[in-house]
Amino acid sequence: MNGNTSITATVAHLLTPAERQHWKLAWLSTVDHKRIGILYMLTGLVFFVIAGIEALLIRLQLMVPNNTLLGPDTYNWMFTMHGTTMIFLVAMPVLFGIMNYILPLQIGARDMAFPRLNALGVWLVPFGGILLHFSFLAGGPPAVGWFAYTPLSETPYSSQLGVDYWAISLFVLGIGSVSAGINFIVTVLTQRAPGMTLRRLPLFTWMIFCNSFLVILALPILNAGLAMLLIDRLLQGQIFLPFGGGSAILWQHIFWAFGHPEVYIVAIPAFAILSEVIPVFSRKPIFGHEFVAASTVIIVFLSLLVWAHHMFTVGLGHTIDLFFVAASVLIAVPTGVKLFNWSATMVGGRVRFTTPMLFCVTALLQFLIGGLTGVSHAVAPLDWQTKNSYYLVAHFHNIFVGLIVFAILGAIYYWFPKMSGRMMSERIGKWVFWLMTIGFNLTFMIQHVLGLAGMPRRTFTYPDLPGWTWMNMVSTIGAFFMTAASILFVWDLVISFFRGKPAGDNPWNAWTLEWATTSPPPHENFDALPPIHSRRPLWDYANPDRPDPVVPVGGAIDTFRPDKIKAGVITFIISEAGFFGVLILAYLLYNATAQSGPGAQQLDVLKTTIFSVCLFASSFTIWRSEVGLRANKQGKMKAWLLATIVLGGVFIVGQGLEYWSLFQSGVTVGLDLFATTFFTLTGFHGLHVCFGLLALLVVLGVALTGYSKNGHLPALGAVGYYWHFVDVVWVFVFSIVYLWPLLR
Amino acid sequence: MTTQQFLTSAWTWNPAVLVFSGVALAAYAWAFGVNRRIVFLIAGLGVFVLTLVSPLNALAEGYLFSAHMLQHILLLLIVPALLLMSLPRCISLGSRSSLLANPLVGWFAGVGAMWLWHARPLCNAAVSSQFVNVLQISSLLLLGGIFWRQILAPREEERISPAGAVLYLFSACMACSVLGIVITFSPVSVCSIYAQPPADYLGILNLIQSDWGITPDKDQQIGGLLMWVPMCLVYLSGIIAQLARWFAHPVATAPVTDKAL
Repeated sequence: MNGNTSITATVAHLLTPAERQHWKLAWLSTVDHKRIGILYMLTGLVFFVIAGIEALLIRLQLMVPNNTLLGPDTYNWMFTMHGTTMIFLVAMPVLFGIMNYILPLQIGARDMAFPRLNALGVWLVPFGGILLHFSFLAGGPPAVGWFAYTPLSETPYSSQLGVDYWAISLFVLGIGSVSAGINFIVTVLTQRAPGMTLRRLPLFTWMIFCNSFLVILALPILNAGLAMLLIDRLLQGQIFLPFGGGSAILWQHIFWAFGHPEVYIVAIPAFAILSEVIPVFSRKPIFGHEFVAASTVIIVFLSLLVWAHHMFTVGLGHTIDLFFVAASVLIAVPTGVKLFNWSATMVGGRVRFTTPMLFCVTALLQFLIGGLTGVSHAVAPLDWQTKNSYYLVAHFHNIFVGLIVFAILGAIYYWFPKMSGRMMSERIGKWVFWLMTIGFNLTFMIQHVLGLAGMPRRTFTYPDLPGWTWMNMVSTIGAFFMTAASILFVWDLVISFFRGKPAGDNPWNAWTLEWATTSPPPHENFDALPPIHSRRPLWDYANPDRPDPVVPVGGAIDTFRPDKIKAGVITFIISEAGFFGVLILAYLLYNATAQSGPGAQQLDVLKTTIFSVCLFASSFTIWRSEVGLRANKQGKMKAWLLATIVLGGVFIVGQGLEYWSLFQSGVTVGLDLFATTFFTLTGFHGLHVCFGLLALLVVLGVALTGYSKNGHLPALGAVGYYWHFVDVVWVFVFSIVYLWPLLR
Repeated sequence: MTTQQFLTSAWTWNPAVLVFSGVALAAYAWAFGVNRRIVFLIAGLGVFVLTLVSPLNALAEGYLFSAHMLQHILLLLIVPALLLMSLPRCISLGSRSSLLANPLVGWFAGVGAMWLWHARPLCNAAVSSQFVNVLQISSLLLLGGIFWRQILAPREEERISPAGAVLYLFSACMACSVLGIVITFSPVSVCSIYAQPPADYLGILNLIQSDWGITPDKDQQIGGLLMWVPMCLVYLSGIIAQLARWFAHPVATAPVTDKAL
């Protein structure tokens, strides 16, 4: 085949014959999980280039002492944008892209559970990215670090719009991530092929499943914090402003309660990739599958528990430090289990050092170093000495680059043949690998020493101290090696896409279901599936005389398959509960003691009680409506639904009246901490009631068109759950805000 | 008083506790005979006795909120779990009673026992009134039993599925963590009776505050942290056991004989 026809054939692959008519929209309007996966990854690649250039500028500035290439402000912009972009716009989208492409294939599904929600998630990434980068045109980007500690990130110290764009962008990206998390959970629960029980899930899918719980629990915590930060900045609140009585440390708690799980949100997919690639190139099933699977659950659990170790230098006191030293050290156990299992998988295997395997084994080694320096940070006294030095920079880059970027590169070399139908070049791949490995270790290993020698991080330049200059020079040279590796990698992607060797269905002789279909897979993914009795169906299929032991089906849980829409709403509710939990805790913190000035006594408890009864009654009416639907009594169903909408409407009008009378008496959002937290909490609840009312109206509209004639209207049950949840939140809010002060 | 004097002298040999434990042990031996599971019973009763007669109890009686919290955790989570584990596998805990068989009831029993008893009036009353104290101890044991029954019922078919159990324990940890966080960072005293010990009847206030360095503020922090971190590790142990049960048992509904301990 000559070059030109090969290129035409490859490009032809991108579109089905029917789509050639409207090719401009075919990829933009896609809801196919494979294309969405690729869109995620390409978006991530674009932002990788941007954040990579920012990293290079930082390294160029630090190459020599007393450099003036970047001023202090520009330097702060660069490291803020580099950190934020790399985490939210590179690591998460690229990993979500890989998961999106591979996870449905591994469980033998046609697509994700909610394809349109999936498309929403992917498009929120470029929108969030554009919002963040628009700050360059609106007075300058944020200069507060990716953690945006208050009060630095508050209006008095960052009066430009950069932080506002930063917060809104992360809020948008958070919503997208939660939608993706919900989608992965529900996909695994409801879209598995027959025979693919929960215990037969391949490790990659199992770990993404566990990880998605972390996504839906952790991101809403950040979003609640961002909402409060924005209320401070835009509505003159003082939630995080010490001189207004607020607590700057509260922001750190909220940020790290999200931030620590976030590290695992991007690390567990990397673990998942390692767990998939290492066995395939060791020609052995993973050693101790159950231990790797169970340790993932434990990591998810512990990661939510130990955020305070990011705050040892804040001065929380020895008591608090002590508990978190102990809990943080514990995390080393389940991660250690994983390291040992991966190593034991290679022992005695026929190890083939292909490019994906080289990346994954190196990721394992570099993660070992990053993990050990991580444990050293769990020890508070050492942490006090090293937290603000380059030792910490070296530590977390060992995780983010040494583990995660290497695992991503391994994953792309591993799955590119499936996605494109062509192999990537092993020759170029080895060059990329060596340049990347040398570059990474030159850049970051030396930073451990620099940190221990006392070089502070987040500082735009440094004096010419003995040893510092040459070590920084080495670090910068390493960065250029990594740049060369990145350019070569993109080049490899492009030429392999057009000219790579045809891959065939299963080029690596792997065992999971994504290799049981063509490369690239057809739109519907599979024509037929092999029987599934174990975790390696393709091994069983190829070796009928010595299959893996059958993983038994025991109890209802292995074949658990809930209703798709209800599962989706329940996972969404779990995530929303976290959001409201943070708002309620913030309210409690500031209103535990009676404040001087306007407070809860300003509220009209009697009126609100009447409106609350309306809201609580609407939980009853929507239940009656569902009963009517089940009995197929259309009139009843619609009448009760209408009653629900009216009752919800009365509540919202009541809340509006209360707001109006508060404004009249001078109680505005920025007045004091009571007012700020009161309006934040009740306002977000009111917003949710409004969304619920919209959803109810849509359901009523659908019912009026006669769609539900046969007693089938699944949306009603889902909206019903959501509506009950909104009412339960009001039970808490009403008790805490209105009733509790009466008891005091 | 020195620490050593305190640790040797502050034992409250409460006859009710000792008699109850003795009767329980005898009743168990009479009903089920002496088998290997009696180890769990002895451990459970041992923790129960130590919780209520050791110096820990003396500290919890008006001196230290954190000592009270430790008692609370032991009585709610450790003792009932060990007692349930001691029951032979053939015993049914009345699956016909649909209320107790409902996992939501179990969950709210376990989490509610934590939240309810830390409402300020109840928390204070449990220290100042002997009657409320007894009520608290018995309710903790009972509610803890209802909570753990979902996980540790002797009969496999009366337990919830392993994956369900993981979510059950995970969410219980979250709910208790939230209370722990509230207590740790609360600007006001949660259990105000501990903020000003009414009468230093053991003469150890000086020992606690200057030798041990536990001021009332710190005391409340330790209490909150105990609930936030170590208590969740108890749930975590449960989660690990459930994962082991799920991955190890070939068929989760298979009857398990008593010997398969």
